[in-house]
Amino acid sequence: MKQTSTGKFSVSRRAVFAAGLSAVAAISILATGASYAQDALGTAEQPVEIRMIANEAFANQWQTNMVPEFNKVYPNIKVTIDGVPYAELLAKSLLDATGPAPTYDIIIADDPWIPQLASAGVLVDLKKDAAAWTSADYDWADFNAAPLAAGEWNGVQYGVPLRSNLLLMFTNKALYEKAGLPAPTPELTWEQFFQQAEKLVQDTNGDGKVDAWAVDTYFMRDALTPTIWQTILNSNGGALLDAGNKPTFNNEAGVKALQTHIDLLKYAPTGAVSHGFNESLQAFRQGQVASMFMWGSVFKGTAVDPSTTTLKPEQVGIQVMPVGSKSAGAHRGIWSGAINNKSENQQAAWALLQWLSSKEGEVWQSNALGVFPARKSTLATTPEHEWLKPVFAALQQGYDAAGEGQMWRPRHPKSDAVQQVLADETARAVAGQATPQEALQAAAEKIEKLLD
Amino acid sequence: MSAAVSVRRRKVPVGHYVRVTSGVVACLLFLFPVFWMVLTSFKMPRDIFTTPPTLFFTPTLETYISYMSRADIPYRMLNTVIVAFGSAFISIIAGSMAGYALARIRLRGAGMLGALILLSRGVPPIALAVPMFLVARSLGLTDKHITLILAYCTFLIPYVMWLMRGFFMALPKELEESAMIDGCTRFGAFFRIIVPISLPGILSTMIFSVILAWEELLFALVLTNRNASTIPVSIAGIAGDSVNGANWGALTAVGTLTVVPVVIFALLVQKWLIQGLADGATKG
Amino acid sequence: MATVGRSRSRGAAKLADLTSRWAFMAPATIILLAMLAYPILYTIEISFSELDLATFTATEWVGWDNYIEVLNDARFWESLRITGIYLVLALPLQMILGFGIAFLINANWQGRGLVRALFIIPMVVAPVVAGGVWRMILDPLWGLANYVIGLAGFEPLDWLGNPSLAMLTVVIIDTWRWTPFVTLIATAALMSLPKDVFEAAEIDGANWWTMFWSITLPLLLPIIAATFVVRWLGAVKMFDIALAATNGGPGAATKVINLFIYEEAFRSLKFAESAAMAVIILVLTMVLTALFLRGSRKLEEMY
Repeated sequence: MKQTSTGKFSVSRRAVFAAGLSAVAAISILATGASYAQDALGTAEQPVEIRMIANEAFANQWQTNMVPEFNKVYPNIKVTIDGVPYAELLAKSLLDATGPAPTYDIIIADDPWIPQLASAGVLVDLKKDAAAWTSADYDWADFNAAPLAAGEWNGVQYGVPLRSNLLLMFTNKALYEKAGLPAPTPELTWEQFFQQAEKLVQDTNGDGKVDAWAVDTYFMRDALTPTIWQTILNSNGGALLDAGNKPTFNNEAGVKALQTHIDLLKYAPTGAVSHGFNESLQAFRQGQVASMFMWGSVFKGTAVDPSTTTLKPEQVGIQVMPVGSKSAGAHRGIWSGAINNKSENQQAAWALLQWLSSKEGEVWQSNALGVFPARKSTLATTPEHEWLKPVFAALQQGYDAAGEGQMWRPRHPKSDAVQQVLADETARAVAGQATPQEALQAAAEKIEKLLD
Repeated sequence: MSAAVSVRRRKVPVGHYVRVTSGVVACLLFLFPVFWMVLTSFKMPRDIFTTPPTLFFTPTLETYISYMSRADIPYRMLNTVIVAFGSAFISIIAGSMAGYALARIRLRGAGMLGALILLSRGVPPIALAVPMFLVARSLGLTDKHITLILAYCTFLIPYVMWLMRGFFMALPKELEESAMIDGCTRFGAFFRIIVPISLPGILSTMIFSVILAWEELLFALVLTNRNASTIPVSIAGIAGDSVNGANWGALTAVGTLTVVPVVIFALLVQKWLIQGLADGATKG
Repeated sequence: MATVGRSRSRGAAKLADLTSRWAFMAPATIILLAMLAYPILYTIEISFSELDLATFTATEWVGWDNYIEVLNDARFWESLRITGIYLVLALPLQMILGFGIAFLINANWQGRGLVRALFIIPMVVAPVVAGGVWRMILDPLWGLANYVIGLAGFEPLDWLGNPSLAMLTVVIIDTWRWTPFVTLIATAALMSLPKDVFEAAEIDGANWWTMFWSITLPLLLPIIAATFVVRWLGAVKMFDIALAATNGGPGAATKVINLFIYEEAFRSLKFAESAAMAVIILVLTMVLTALFLRGSRKLEEMY
């Protein structure tokens, strides 16, 4: 696709705008003598209204639980959150954000979207333009590097992590025990995983029919399916793209990683080739598979909530994905909060993002809503919920691995287009319509052209 | 319901029973997935994906209650009703008139125009959604019911026009000729003679139009945010829950709930239609 | 004087008559023109341009570049082929089933109103839910379909994982969903048939087959043709069921063209290429629809 960058123009426009705003802020500080520009944060008579566009999956939860909590601190900022289905959220955010008078002050962006929104020139530079409104004890350095980097592009911090997530390994300890195997530890390697996999395809009730399998995960044609073999590639020290955005996966290491992903099918339930997020989740929750490579955020519904799962918390293990030739694996999935630079309520918007991503906000959110934090300090606390303890440990390990091995989707304005090409080609290889070599060759050619 | 229609006019042949039975069997086959959907909506999420599938379980209303108690659901439901019936109503009037013109009025160029209107359906809707949003935005009309209604008219009118043309062509030619000799205007003849006699076709097309608008997702997604947002957007949101996994209890519950109003509407229409048939307003 | 007045009033009457004739076409034409003119022009424009995502406007005219890129993409041709297979399987099936079932449930009995109303439900269920419920039924692990097949002693089928079977699955789901539409229109058409013609034929001693062939079919022809064209235009655009049931997989086995266009635009944000594909599809659809219209006119004239 051809896209022209308006980066230069928007930077200067943003700078002028920010200068104007900070001038206004400075004047109001002088005028009121208070440490904050109270008007910009609303007054009892004239509350400020801000609107947020977010994933429908959590918009409702935030509106009913998070906003009232936020209003305890900032009673005069009214927050309205509109949920959009995940698949259309980026296009919808872009359509709104690029208009002359955007509806939404805050955009909640998935991990690969910040470069795409930033290159359209619609986001506020948080460390620069919002610096004047940033509280002195807002600790940037306390964030784990990996989640914070999801909000960054070309050296500018556009977003802060609000809901963190990682691709991790879930284990059903009961099925491991049944197969006579020790419960896996974070040191588990891919070789060990495959050695054990054979035993984990088992008949648990003795009726002569196999009724439990070793693994289930993304296999179907889906934009997130390539994240599985990418993680394998990353844990072997490989990468999708080099610093110049040239594909670096079309080689032996890439083929090996993709073949490893495909080999998982041998130990997966019948029909797993059409399984994705929802199906593998259900298979695991029904106790039919011993392990699952899946987003950590499903942990509560998988191990704790008796209305959605047949498993008990003590049965379910969570850890980083198996160790490759270089390190353990994880794949980053951070929802970052960003502010539209045409918003008239940037200060109020930043007040919300700042509160939610602050030390106090994170602790509150993880305890009250079970949402995963990004800060080292939060991960070092003892969570109120017992089930969060192993999750916190896995997250900290995962962040380190992901940060070290750059285990995330491409950082580029065309990230989703790249991901779609990878999904198309991976799907052909998984379904046996092409060999891994052919699939990766085709993907590399297309991506090279796309990013040229 | 059709008691008024005499069944005992002559001896009922065996073929009649075969026909009725196979009709009912076909209907049941088609309704099985719907039955499964309704059944699933009463299961706890953990009971939905059991192996083997269960027919007997402790039913729960939890998914219904938790979904219905969400703040956005009542207004989304109302929006869906407004938009579906609004667009179906406009489309039926505009589309039937155009269909009539194509079927029965000698008009140079109308055939070409009609074909063009029909061919406008060849544009993939995905291509139309974004520019329509841009227009609506520049007119300040995003997130308004009327925008969505008119957007739906663009795909309903061509369908209605073409289907009604088919129905009108099957009518005997003498109908409006005699009416116009009796001094009716062209409009009078259309609304007083043609429309009543074409009611089965008009009402079926109306049901079809309501359904198409009722479940439309793409335009609703792009053109609305909150005020005019409809149920299908919410359904897509639950299905695409990328954080906790799709809640199939909720999805089947909403699926069931959204079916109910349309079925009631269709039942009322059928009842009315069959009564009308018995009264001799149309020929059966 | 008198003649002039008469000719003027005759002219006025003629004008009034023409206006009243065109008045029937006017509402539809005005609404469609107002709503579609700009979007279609915009689509054509950006299909020849670079699109600036910061404004969603065309920036630079690139000629046929987007088209060349699309036509050189093997995925586009593959999608066209898949769409063709789907159409050839699904359309005749839905037309025959639809009219057949309409004939069955139109039998004169107490419950027919109820059956007719219930029969529309598959159409009403939101595509996402319908696709998901079918997935639930067809899944090899927990699905009812394979459970029943297994009870009958057959090997389970991988409805969604086997590429050819997945295509068939999409056709089955789509047929389940849209046969009710054909039935809905067909029942109305059957109800509108003039009864006296049949009674006269019956008195003349015509048998069931002759009545069907020489009376029912010719009378139904315009509506059969119209239903086909409407279903065809709907089916060309199908992507919701493929999205919900298989997401185009396995591999690319069920990636119909509109799913591809949707993904290019809304997932990959490649709006310009997506527009180029849309224009190609528009042209293809126009040509084929024109052929169908000509064919149906020929048939209408024959009878």
